[in-house]
Formats: sequence, structure tokens, C-alpha cells
Amino acid sequence: MSRFKYSYNAIVYYQEDIAKGIDRVARYGYDAIELVGEPATHDVEEINKLTNDAGIDVSSICSIWFGEERDLINPSAANRQKALDYGKSVADFAAAVGAPTIIVGPSPVGKTEALASDEQEWDWAVENVRTLGEYAASVGINITLEPWNRYETHFLNRLDRAVELLDATGLKNAGVHGDLFHMNIEEDTIHGAFARAGSKVNHVHLADSNRAAPGVGHIDFRPTLQTLKDINFDGYLTFELLPAASNPFAMMARGGHLEFLDPYTEKAINEMKKLEQELWPNE
Amino acid sequence: MSKYEFGVSTFILVSPFTDQDVDQFDVAKEMGYDLIEVCIEDPAVVSAEALKEASERTGLPVSICGAFGPDRDVSHEDPQKRRQGIDYLKLCVDIAQAVGSPHVAGPMYSATGKARLLPPGERQQQRQWAADSLREVADYASERGITLAIEPLNRFETDLVNTVEQGLELCELIGRDNVGLMLDTFHMNIEEKNIGAAITSAGDKVFHFQVSENDRGTPGSGHVPWSETFDALKTIDYQGSIVVESFLPTVEEIAKAVSLWRPVAPSMDALARDGLTFLRRELP
Repeated sequence: MSRFKYSYNAIVYYQEDIAKGIDRVARYGYDAIELVGEPATHDVEEINKLTNDAGIDVSSICSIWFGEERDLINPSAANRQKALDYGKSVADFAAAVGAPTIIVGPSPVGKTEALASDEQEWDWAVENVRTLGEYAASVGINITLEPWNRYETHFLNRLDRAVELLDATGLKNAGVHGDLFHMNIEEDTIHGAFARAGSKVNHVHLADSNRAAPGVGHIDFRPTLQTLKDINFDGYLTFELLPAASNPFAMMARGGHLEFLDPYTEKAINEMKKLEQELWPNE
Repeated sequence: MSKYEFGVSTFILVSPFTDQDVDQFDVAKEMGYDLIEVCIEDPAVVSAEALKEASERTGLPVSICGAFGPDRDVSHEDPQKRRQGIDYLKLCVDIAQAVGSPHVAGPMYSATGKARLLPPGERQQQRQWAADSLREVADYASERGITLAIEPLNRFETDLVNTVEQGLELCELIGRDNVGLMLDTFHMNIEEKNIGAAITSAGDKVFHFQVSENDRGTPGSGHVPWSETFDALKTIDYQGSIVVESFLPTVEEIAKAVSLWRPVAPSMDALARDGLTFLRRELP
């Protein structure tokens, strides 16, 4: 019996038929799959049938916060509204496929320059994350705020900053999200950052230091697993593994991600279960 | 005293470094550093004469490193641009020779921040241009007794050389004995499977070494595996210097590539001082 629930982000399965991805994660013993937040390209009925038949859940929706129309802190009010509308559509999608959580990045990935003053950006973030969170609550969904590394955003790089934003919104159906690839670059220690965020952590993306499967890089996952146990984390440990490039999508477009399909999907969960066994042999 | 010379990068002290900033040699010396690494950001405002005079006055040796903005790109498709990159590097070699730096160091194979992920054929071509350009620079440097220390950068700063393995491949392609690597713990923490093993695999090709914490903060304040790193330097019998690097918010030439959006230490002064204290404690 595993202490944690495991999920795998289908983002690295790229343009593959989702049926294959669902079959794959079920085959290797995952509890759930994380789906990409593009509601228009997913058939809800088909997904519900596939996950039901495979006996897995949808853990979460990995929203694609990219471009000015998905920028909750964009200086254009029209863009901020479009970003809110997008976030709401992801929450609806989550509700339709039974996923409890959606990921929220207030400023889009790849935007590393402020387009307004720090205070103004922060105010828009508080206001729009709150609005989106309240909408999500109305359809029974939680949000999780994800910091990314310095090369992908100037806005939230560390967990403590995400906690500040979360607290400023006053939302109850929200938490913060730690992704080990980003944390390896930004935090003093990964487990220390999780310990400080404590009960506010509601989602985790696992990856090794080079964004490959655990064991392929140099992160020691044991202190992190121990801390997640200590803070009573009861969400999903979701693997978000991506090829080594500033733009992983370009890499995947040319097929440079094949080890991320069967080989890493299998290796990732096996590595973590091995570590769980080592840490807690009597459970 | 440690067998290593400990240095501080001017990127921590003042950026861009100019002839008016030679008092930073005194600052570095007062902090207790054995060496100063001067980054040639704008050759129009920094001269070998001023550096040499400051070095002689303070007794601090100089390490020369380059900064590679878009106009200093030795693997650019436009031969004119490649020529500009080669000329800049030759100028750095001249400065290194004049001030007594054993090397010119830095990510000299491309413009920093160019992480476009080319199709394999074009990437091969880019690598070849880099090798051909750097071979010309290496021969120029060899005549002047200078080596080239090539620095791999993480995936967000370049698509050409991310790992020690790729760095060694480029050295091989250049094919000159005075070409080796400069390794930086910040980049290695992102890209290497095992930092100690990566250093060991480069062996005597490690010409120069930079230390920086995983977040570019003070060495010792984060989670870079320092004892593994220092053990590996001992294993390969590393003889060069060890330079503390981070970046002031005023850095221009490569600002976007560096992407530092928050203070990573109480102050840059504290980073330099505490970093040295850490090195002296760990490598007595």
C-alpha cells in the first residue's frame, strides 16, 4: 500500500491519442492522470469512459498559461478578462472530468518582464486569482498556485511568494504547488520550502533535477517524501517530466521525448515506491 | 592556506566593469580574495593597461572572462557576425596576455540566451561554425600562451552546450590542446546527472571553475552538493582557481539570459564575503 497517490502529466505524451496515455498510466499502477488544460481539444465523454474503464482518476488539470490572452496580470483589461475566461473554462473542464484541482500561474510562462509596476501586477494577481478561485469553488474545484523558475517567469519563483499571494486572496479552496524541477533552481532546500508552506501545499509536481524521471538526475527525494508525510500532504504526487530544452514542445514536436512515454512512466512510479518502501518499511 | 586561489567575479562587484572601477581590486583584496575575475563586457571602456596597473598595485592576479551578447556570436549563420565574435575573443586574448591571465573563459560558442533548439542538421552546422571559429581563436591564443576555457550553460541560456559531455565533444571538434572547459556549479546543478561524476569525467580538461549556489546566491546557502563537488576537484587534482560568481541587477550584456528577478543574498557585498568564508572553511 502506497502512502501517496500518484499521477502522471499527459503533457509529455504530447499529441498522442489520450486513450494511449490513460492506458499507459493505468498499466504502470498510477492512481490518476493529469490532463492538459486545453478543453477544446478534449472530449469529456470519451475521457470519462476511458478513465472509468481503466479504473483511474483525473488528478488535476495542467492549465496552459501562455501568451498575453492567458495573462491574469496583463495591462490590457481585455486580456485579463480573456485570461479569466480561460481559467474558468479549465475549471469547468476539471469539474466535467472529475479532477479536483486546476493549476494557476498568474503570469504566463515565458514572460520574464514586468509590464506594469510591481504593486500593480500584485494587485491584479490578487484580484484575478481570487475571482478565478471563487468561480472554481462554485463548480467544486480547487486551485493551486505554481511558481516557476526564473527563466520562465519573473513573477512567482518561490513557494513562499505563492503562499503570500494565496494568503492575500483569502481563498479557502486554494493552495500552493511545488514543482521539484523549478524548486531545484530556486529554493534553498526543496524539503525546507515544503515544510515552510506546510498545510498550504495542495499539489506537487515531481521531476528530477534535469526534469527527467527520478533517478536520472541528482535529487535525493527522501527528505521531500518525509516532509510531505510530516505536513500530511494528501494530494497527488504528479510527475511532470519534460525534455531538456528551453522550449520542450519544440523538442517533442520532433520526437525527442520517446523515453518519456513507456520508459519514464514506468520508472518514475517504481522509483518512488522503492523509496517509500525504504523510508517506511513497516507500512 | 588553501592550495586553490579563490577569486571573485566583477559581475558581483560592478557591472559593466570600466577603467574607472579599478578600485574594485582593492575591495576584492580587502575582502581577502586571492584573485579577481574581470569580465570584459564593453571593451571600449576597459583597458589592459588599467587592469595591469591595478593588478600590480594590489598584487591580485586577474582572470579574464568574456560576455557574449548577440553581436559576439561565433556560431551565427552570418559570417560577418562570426567574424565579430572572433575579433572580440582575440581582443580578450590580448587582454589576458597583457594582464597575465592564463585563460579566456566563458560560454564563447554562441550568444548567451540563444536557446532556439534548431533542427538536428542546422544544429550540427552551428556546432561546426563554433568549432571552426574557436579553432582560429585557439591558434591565436596558443601563440600568446593563453588557453580557452569553454563554459557549458543550462538549457534556458543556450541550446548548444549544456553538459560537460557536450563541452568535451566541442573541445574534441576544435581539436587544440589549449582548449578546455570552465565549469559552473549553478549550471551543473540543473543539467548534470551527477555533479561529481561530471567533473571527474572532464579530468584535466577542467581549466577553470566557478562556484555559485543553486539559486545564484551565496555558495553554501543552498543545496549544491558541495562536498561531492570539492572531492571531485581533488580527485582530478585540479590546479586552477575557484571563482565566486553571481550577477548584479545592473548586468546589461547578458541580462535576459541571467534572469535574476530577486535579491539572492542580503547584499552582493555579503555574498562575496560569505562565499569566501565558506570556501576557506570547506577547502582549507
